Amino acid sequence: MRITLTVNEAKREVEIEPGETLLELLRREGYKGVKKGCGSGDCGACAVLLDGRAVNSCLVLAAKADGREVVTVEGLALWSKSHSRYSTGRAKGDELHPIQRAFVEEGAIQCGYCTPGMVIAAVDLLTHNSSPSEAQIREGISGNLCRCTGYVKQIEAIKTAAKRMGEGADD
Amino acid sequence: MALTQLKEYLRPATLKEALTLLREGGKGARVIGGGIELVLFSPPDVTTLIDLSELSLSYIKENQAGLAIGATTTLTQIIEHQTVAQYLDGVIVGMLHQVASPLLRNLATIGGSLASANPWSDVIPLFLALDAKVTLFDGKYHSIPLSDLYPTRSHLSGSILTEVLLPVPASGTAASFHQFSRTGFDVALLNCACLVKVDAGRCTVVRIVAGGTPRLGAALPAAEETLMGMELTDETIEQVAHVARESADTRDDRRASAQYRKQLTYVGVKRCLQEIRDRLAEGEQ
Repeated sequence: MRITLTVNEAKREVEIEPGETLLELLRREGYKGVKKGCGSGDCGACAVLLDGRAVNSCLVLAAKADGREVVTVEGLALWSKSHSRYSTGRAKGDELHPIQRAFVEEGAIQCGYCTPGMVIAAVDLLTHNSSPSEAQIREGISGNLCRCTGYVKQIEAIKTAAKRMGEGADD
Repeated sequence: MALTQLKEYLRPATLKEALTLLREGGKGARVIGGGIELVLFSPPDVTTLIDLSELSLSYIKENQAGLAIGATTTLTQIIEHQTVAQYLDGVIVGMLHQVASPLLRNLATIGGSLASANPWSDVIPLFLALDAKVTLFDGKYHSIPLSDLYPTRSHLSGSILTEVLLPVPASGTAASFHQFSRTGFDVALLNCACLVKVDAGRCTVVRIVAGGTPRLGAALPAAEETLMGMELTDETIEQVAHVARESADTRDDRRASAQYRKQLTYVGVKRCLQEIRDRLAEGEQ
């Protein structure tokens, strides 16, 4: 079957199998920032934004994305530009999203496998709650597993990003 | 690929069309909301999926009967809804925060959560305790108590769940939900949901439900009867929790033993009733 979807602001028309997942489609189309981890919705490595909400792409059928907007970690710079609330004012599509920048600066990355999904989950969180408490940050990334660093650095990075992007998270 | 036998993915524009497709599709046809479970469990006999997302069933409306929530409303949409947040001191939102992860709650729909009848569901025990009703469409709309949906599940074949209704709570009513799990993300080892209405200090409506026993959430009638007509004192709560422990039909599985689940039922019911008493006391102030 043929579907049309927008991936990172580019309209794509693709041929898919009815039983194919969005994760399989995206990786086949070259969006390798979308990682396959558990394949069962536990680890969050495959998270993408679907119409602005972070979802496990391993559990979404590609057919369900027909006519919808997908943002992968590769498209976050563009996405932050088009969503001016969180634009740095300088984003040209080749700059890191403020959350990505905070992850780099805070050392919230070790092997990096969980990072795209973790960043996507954080984008959803901060889009809908500009000044989350630490408990809300923890809940926001509770569907994302990291097997290297633990979670302290990621939580700090999300706090830093929240401060930069809006009113900040102090507690 | 998840669903290798899948031949068709259909997005009907009307409910009537969806029902026709479901019936024409026979045993291989399934209706989906978020579709999480179908991908996760990939049943080999599924050949046709009927996606309800085009049917405008994503809504939360307040009317005279209560809060009506459309079947394809996601759990996240419910969590973020102001009116739901106020319903019985936020008991629904509190429960939903314990369901899976935000990533999954962005996909999972309320219709799917109720229709899939998962024994570990947190949603079903609380909605049973709240006396929720569901609307089914089989060519005509039928409203039935949620509790009638599960004994035979016959309602679920050949019809489509379109809405769940949470009744307007009577004054003097409070509810509580408690879940036990190994991690915040894991499914419940056991969960409890209670609702109590108090008139002149006496309990006149009592719902005590345990889920993940490890079977589907169900009322504990012996515990409910013990509390009826009584005051919510420490002694009564202790007695009711004891009856709940003894009467709960718990079983062993890979997550927990039947005996451990009995003890969790005791603790869960006790905590729920204590919280209800506190909430009712706050309401009087």
